[in-house]
Amino acid sequence: MSKKSTDQTRSSRAAAAINAQKAAERNRYLMIGGVVLLVVVLLVVVMAVVLGMNAKPDKNQKATPSIATSAADAGGTPAELKDFGIFVGDPEAPKTVTIYEDLQCPACANFEAVVGKPLAAAMDAGDIRIEYRMVGILDRYSTNDYSSRALNAALTVLDTAGLEAFRTFHDDLFVSQPAEGGPGFENDELIKRAVAAGADEDKVTKPIEDKAFAQWIVKANDAMSREGYGQTPTVLVDGEEVEQDKVLEEIQ
Amino acid sequence: MKDWIGLVARLVTGGVWLVAGWKKLFDLPENVRAVRAYELLPEAVVPAVGHALPFVEVTVGLLLIFGLLTRLMAGISSLLFIAFIIGIASAWARGLQIDCGCFGGGGFDADAASKYPVEIARDVGLLALSLWLVVRPRSRWAMDSLLFSPRTTLERNDDVEEEH
Repeated sequence: MSKKSTDQTRSSRAAAAINAQKAAERNRYLMIGGVVLLVVVLLVVVMAVVLGMNAKPDKNQKATPSIATSAADAGGTPAELKDFGIFVGDPEAPKTVTIYEDLQCPACANFEAVVGKPLAAAMDAGDIRIEYRMVGILDRYSTNDYSSRALNAALTVLDTAGLEAFRTFHDDLFVSQPAEGGPGFENDELIKRAVAAGADEDKVTKPIEDKAFAQWIVKANDAMSREGYGQTPTVLVDGEEVEQDKVLEEIQ
Repeated sequence: MKDWIGLVARLVTGGVWLVAGWKKLFDLPENVRAVRAYELLPEAVVPAVGHALPFVEVTVGLLLIFGLLTRLMAGISSLLFIAFIIGIASAWARGLQIDCGCFGGGGFDADAASKYPVEIARDVGLLALSLWLVVRPRSRWAMDSLLFSPRTTLERNDDVEEEH
């Protein structure tokens, strides 16, 4: 074999090796690109499916509670539901006290125990209007999503039996609040207590079991967070946050 | 030996991402509120970030555990940890009392100040593991080595696997 042809073979073998190398590199990048694409597509599909399922309108859902007119409320305290606030008392009252509270929150139960009655008296006297901003943000503090289920039951009572039944139910659930970390009242128990507060069993059973106001509660929780509050109870007097133990001084 | 360190780094970081993301998936609205509580992102992007983050975390976690696209995932993991460290440090510096929402939850937490140092230390540790994988993504029992042929060089065509 001549020296020349040996050189040719060498250089063509080198060229072939370089080409093979390039092809391998190209395949490698194609493969990586393909896997990246696959992962991205899978991620987007799963997200779309999950978020789509969450957003699907449920025929058992009610957009917003109303305040039922009942005989018990006739000529009594005026009430109004605006956005996520349940306003109770004279709209002309000089001051408005806003209370963000969660039925699972021990500090809220304590707040209600200490100032609930004096605030109610001030409202009856026409000195203040109370805006209840009920939220259900503490589901992780019970084993059965008590926070949002209890609120759903309270909204159901308001929706079907009116203000006085709602206030009775609200006060009852704070006084007999289940401890954090364990199971809260099951729906059966909530229905029993709703009936005791003056609601009609036939009207409340289905909305409580279906969690009819679940989407409203999600929006109410979100509204509170958008307003910059993350803690319950949060108490405002005419829109200004006040220390919860100073609220009675603030409304003087 | 280094391949074993890589495996441990993958399983620890990937495991943490998987658990953290999974726990958030079941209450996405809560995660949106947790993101908002940091008061760092504009409201226009808060819902999108709050909804997407858990999915991204689960994906990064799974792929790190399987050892698929290890370098890319370790890179995303590092960026996320840097973002979380900045977020927690800034919440701490501004005197916010929030649950970091790292594993679900979020919002106000009265004991927050005592937890911030631990959370930052944990994230720094996980960031270190992620960076190790960015520098050296090859590790034991990774799908990468099954799917992607190792880089070859003209001088040395021997399979890297044979070194073990």
